[in-house]
Amino acid sequence: MFNRVKNLKLSIIKQIEIEAAKYPNTISLAQGIPSFDTPEGIKKRVENALKRGVVAKYSLSPGLPELRELIEVSLSRENMFYDWQKEIIVTAGAIEAITASILAITEPEDEILIPDPTYTSYREVIILAGCKPIFVPLDEEKGWAFDLEAYKKAITPKTKAIFYCNPNNPTGTIYTRDQLLGLAELAEKHNLFLISDEVYKDFIFTNQPGQPQIFSLAEIPALRQRVIRIFSFSKAYAMTGWRIGYVHSDESIIREILKVHDCLVTCAPIISQYAALGALEMGENDIRRFNEEFKKRRDLICSRLDKLNNFFTYIRPNSTYFIFPKIINYFNKKNFSSWQFALDLLNKIQVAVVPGIAFGPKGENHVRMSFGKSEKDINEAFARIEKIIEAL
Amino acid sequence: MKIVFKKILQYYLKYIVKIILLIHRPFIIAIAGSSNKIFAKEKIISLLKEKGIDAYSNPKSFNTEIGLPLAILDLPSGYNSYADWLSTVLKAPIQIFKINFPKILVLELGISSPADMKFLLSIIKPDIGVITQITSRYLESFKNIGELLAEYEYFIKKMPKESLLVLNYDNLFIRKMANINKNKVLFFGFSDKADWQGKLLKKDAFGQKILIRHGEKKEEYNLKKYGEHHIYSLLISLIVKEYVSKKEV
Repeated sequence: MFNRVKNLKLSIIKQIEIEAAKYPNTISLAQGIPSFDTPEGIKKRVENALKRGVVAKYSLSPGLPELRELIEVSLSRENMFYDWQKEIIVTAGAIEAITASILAITEPEDEILIPDPTYTSYREVIILAGCKPIFVPLDEEKGWAFDLEAYKKAITPKTKAIFYCNPNNPTGTIYTRDQLLGLAELAEKHNLFLISDEVYKDFIFTNQPGQPQIFSLAEIPALRQRVIRIFSFSKAYAMTGWRIGYVHSDESIIREILKVHDCLVTCAPIISQYAALGALEMGENDIRRFNEEFKKRRDLICSRLDKLNNFFTYIRPNSTYFIFPKIINYFNKKNFSSWQFALDLLNKIQVAVVPGIAFGPKGENHVRMSFGKSEKDINEAFARIEKIIEAL
Repeated sequence: MKIVFKKILQYYLKYIVKIILLIHRPFIIAIAGSSNKIFAKEKIISLLKEKGIDAYSNPKSFNTEIGLPLAILDLPSGYNSYADWLSTVLKAPIQIFKINFPKILVLELGISSPADMKFLLSIIKPDIGVITQITSRYLESFKNIGELLAEYEYFIKKMPKESLLVLNYDNLFIRKMANINKNKVLFFGFSDKADWQGKLLKKDAFGQKILIRHGEKKEEYNLKKYGEHHIYSLLISLIVKEYVSKKEV
């Protein structure tokens, strides 16, 4: 009984959220949710669709043609050329795109390489597909960069894909073009798929020459039969609750993913597809506004961590709305683990953070803090953390 | 309140645009159809610019009763902000005195409910009218397919006498509409009966290789974009480029 799911775990992030719900005064830096509401223009687009009575029926399985057409336009502005009719599927968020992609390209027992640390749910989806997640450590000393040697060593005859999140959750790393091309070279050599989850690509805090810039392997024409790129509207447009995203790749791959997508959800929710249309039509300024705000909050959280430099060290994130500080001095030394640290913060001062172990073995000794929260929440959370540390 | 504001805005922008078009008299290429308008528009602009022809289109798909005037005025939408709309409203009349008004405008015409086309064509008089494709998209806002098709029939009917119609031969609905008026019509499509025929020769990692046949002339093109709709866009833009060059706009 329950063989397929026996090795699945409820994500540690969700476990922390359940624990945090016991304390009504909790400030949660755990959830990966932007503090903003969905922009008004997007809501208006949805209202219009509701009034026109166009949201009650299924769309074509790959999604509304007008949305896919706009996605193609938006991709072409980022130097990625995909046919909206055959190479783009609108999905119920990124996680459905990931699930459908992995189910389509793998066979049971296949291995998929994922960075360590990276987003918690990757592991679960890979296990659900009957495959084996293989954590490949990132190089913390080099700002959580890919360690290509480690990747080389991790590849076996069973390896089917290299799966990563760029920019990376929880470290906020933007992988460089050279690092990504290094992965692509390995993929070519060993005939592997490259699954690139790029849901944070719009939050980039580096704009100086020489600083890392966002680059996608989907921009390389020669890789189009290897790269499966995933995007979600959740983060960029403050639409986490709408559950809408998309996947694009070469026709030969999308054709197969579509079969799984059809089995899983038939089509993405139509009302959310209209919201996504609104986002692409009118959301440019909102993305800019969110990006500026997150940059301010990143600077704030870094300055608050600087004051606690006897307890934390950190690598300044260049993207996302997460920071991944390392705990270097812990008040509960006997039971040290990132889990225990997170539970202590929650139980003692009602601040929720995600234990680093949630993101892979290399994440131990770290915690993930979200600066998607308002400045007020960030300040209050740190005031509480400082108090408990002062009391030591 | 919002409906009243929208109506006032719609007519305010319409009449300012009519004055501008009367003064500057640009050559207008109007693109209608259920899909592929934006790609056709981009390709036309790109080919005309390659030839050094001064053409303009709004990068966004502004193609509705308010969007079309904004595209001509080269002004942003206020979307949901009254303050932003106020700024647009104040800037609109200033555009009348714009010195370097483009010689050619490439405009999308979007229809999502009955009589939309009538309103859009009360603003502009196209010199070239293109229908890219007609599908069931937006059908939900019409009583039936007949009502949707009537919008495109109106488009063809209202084309000025000297204008050119560029129509998709592969679409039976569009093909049947061609006889509605006596304008010059050029068909594009994959069919060998089209005046300008496209054929996909090869698709690989670097794009599509296309053979274009027009009369006795045959030429190969490479597109880095994928999909039949880009072959249609190429055909449309080649027809437009040749016509505009001959007319010496």
